[in-house]
Amino acid sequence: MSKRGRRGAQGPGPERAREVARQKLAEQRAAQRRRTAAIVAAVVAAVLLVSAGVGIAIYNTQTKSPAHTAIPKGATAAGIVVGKPDAKVTVDVYLDFLCPVCKQFEDATGPTLARYVAAGTVKIDYHPVAFLDRLSAGTRYSTRAAAAAGCAADAGVFPKYLQLLYAHQPREGSPGLTAAELVALGRQAGATSSSFADCVEQKRYQDWVAGVTDLASKAGVNATPTVLVNGTRLPAPTTAAVTAAVEAAAKK
Amino acid sequence: MITTPRWAAVQPWFSTLARLALGAVWIVAGTSKIADLAESVRAVRAYRLLPESLVPLVGAGLPFVEIALGLLLVAGAGTRVGAAVSILVMAVFIAGIASAWARGLRIECGCFGGGGDLAAAVEPAYATELARDVGLLALGTVLAWWPRSRWSVDGLLFGPTEDL
Repeated sequence: MSKRGRRGAQGPGPERAREVARQKLAEQRAAQRRRTAAIVAAVVAAVLLVSAGVGIAIYNTQTKSPAHTAIPKGATAAGIVVGKPDAKVTVDVYLDFLCPVCKQFEDATGPTLARYVAAGTVKIDYHPVAFLDRLSAGTRYSTRAAAAAGCAADAGVFPKYLQLLYAHQPREGSPGLTAAELVALGRQAGATSSSFADCVEQKRYQDWVAGVTDLASKAGVNATPTVLVNGTRLPAPTTAAVTAAVEAAAKK
Repeated sequence: MITTPRWAAVQPWFSTLARLALGAVWIVAGTSKIADLAESVRAVRAYRLLPESLVPLVGAGLPFVEIALGLLLVAGAGTRVGAAVSILVMAVFIAGIASAWARGLRIECGCFGGGGDLAAAVEPAYATELARDVGLLALGTVLAWWPRSRWSVDGLLFGPTEDL
C-alpha cells in the first residue's frame, strides 16, 4: 500500500483534502466547458436557422403567384400555343433563346413543324424558359428575350419573332440584344405599334417567364431544347425523330 | 490524437488554414447562388429527391446558410460546431450527387450557382463533383477534430488553448 493510501484510510489528511479540492475544481471546469460548448452550439444553430429564414423570406417576396401575373394574349401560364386548338398532336418545345442547340433545332426542324401546323395536324406549345440567365453578362438575356416573345404573342407575330430572335441569337456570355434591338426585330416581324415597344421596354412579361421556367422545372425539364410529342419526351429531337413521333401520334 | 510537441506547435496554424479554406468555399458557393434564388430552387428540384413542399425552402434557404457558415468559419466563431455542420451538409451533398448519378439523371450539381440544367452536348461531371465534396468533407473533419486555431473569435473568447 502506498503512503497516500494508508493516510487516506486513516482519515482526511491535508494531501487528501487537496486532492478532493483538485477533483472538484476539475469537475466544475468540465461542467463549465460543457455549458459553454452547448451555448456555442445553440448560438451557431440559431445563426444558421435565421439565415435560412432570411433566404426563404427574400425568395417569397420575389416570387409572384401566377394569379397576379400578366399572361400574353393566346398564351397560358406555361407557354405560347401556336396552331389549331383541336389539332390531334401536341408538340411541347422547351427552349431558351440563348441556347445554341435550341437555334439548331429550330433551323433544322422548325420548317417541318410549321408544315404540320399549317395542315392542322399539330399544335405547338412553346415554353420559352430562362435557364441561361447567368450566361449574358448580367443582363438576363434569356428572361428579356422570352418576355419580348410574350409581347410578340400579344401582337400576333410570335412565330415570325421566334425565327428572328434565333436569326440574331447572341453568343453565350455576351450581353445579348438590347431592348431597342428586341423592339426593332418585332417591327421587322410586323409588330409596329408603340404598345409592343412599351411592352418590351417595360419587360411586362418577365414574371410570366419566371412562371414558365418554374413550371418547366416542375415538369422535370432541366435542359433545352426538350421536345415532347403528345406528352412523350424525345431522347434526341432530330427532324427524323420528330417526324416519326408526329406521324405515329396522328395515326392513333 | 497526435500530441508531439512539433504537432502542438503546427496544429493551430494548420487548423487556421483549414478554417479559412472551408469558410471561403462556403462563402463563394453561397454568394454564387443568391443572385438568382429561383435558379437555386430549380437546382434542388432537379435532383428529384425532396417533396415539392420542401424544394423552395431548401433552394432559397441553403445559399444563406452557406454564407453564414462560411462567415462563422472565417471568423473562427464556433469552429467545432461549424465544422460539424459542414461535415453534415457535405455528406448530404455527396449522397445527393451519388444518387443522381446512380439514377442516371443528367444534371449539373448546382454547387456554385446554376439551375441544375445541362446543355445538350455536355456530359455530367459527377466524379469531379464528388471528389471535390469528399475533399471538403475531409477538411471539415480535420477542423472538427482540431478546432483550435490562430486569429479566431473562439480564441479571443475562451482562451487560445480551449477546444470547444
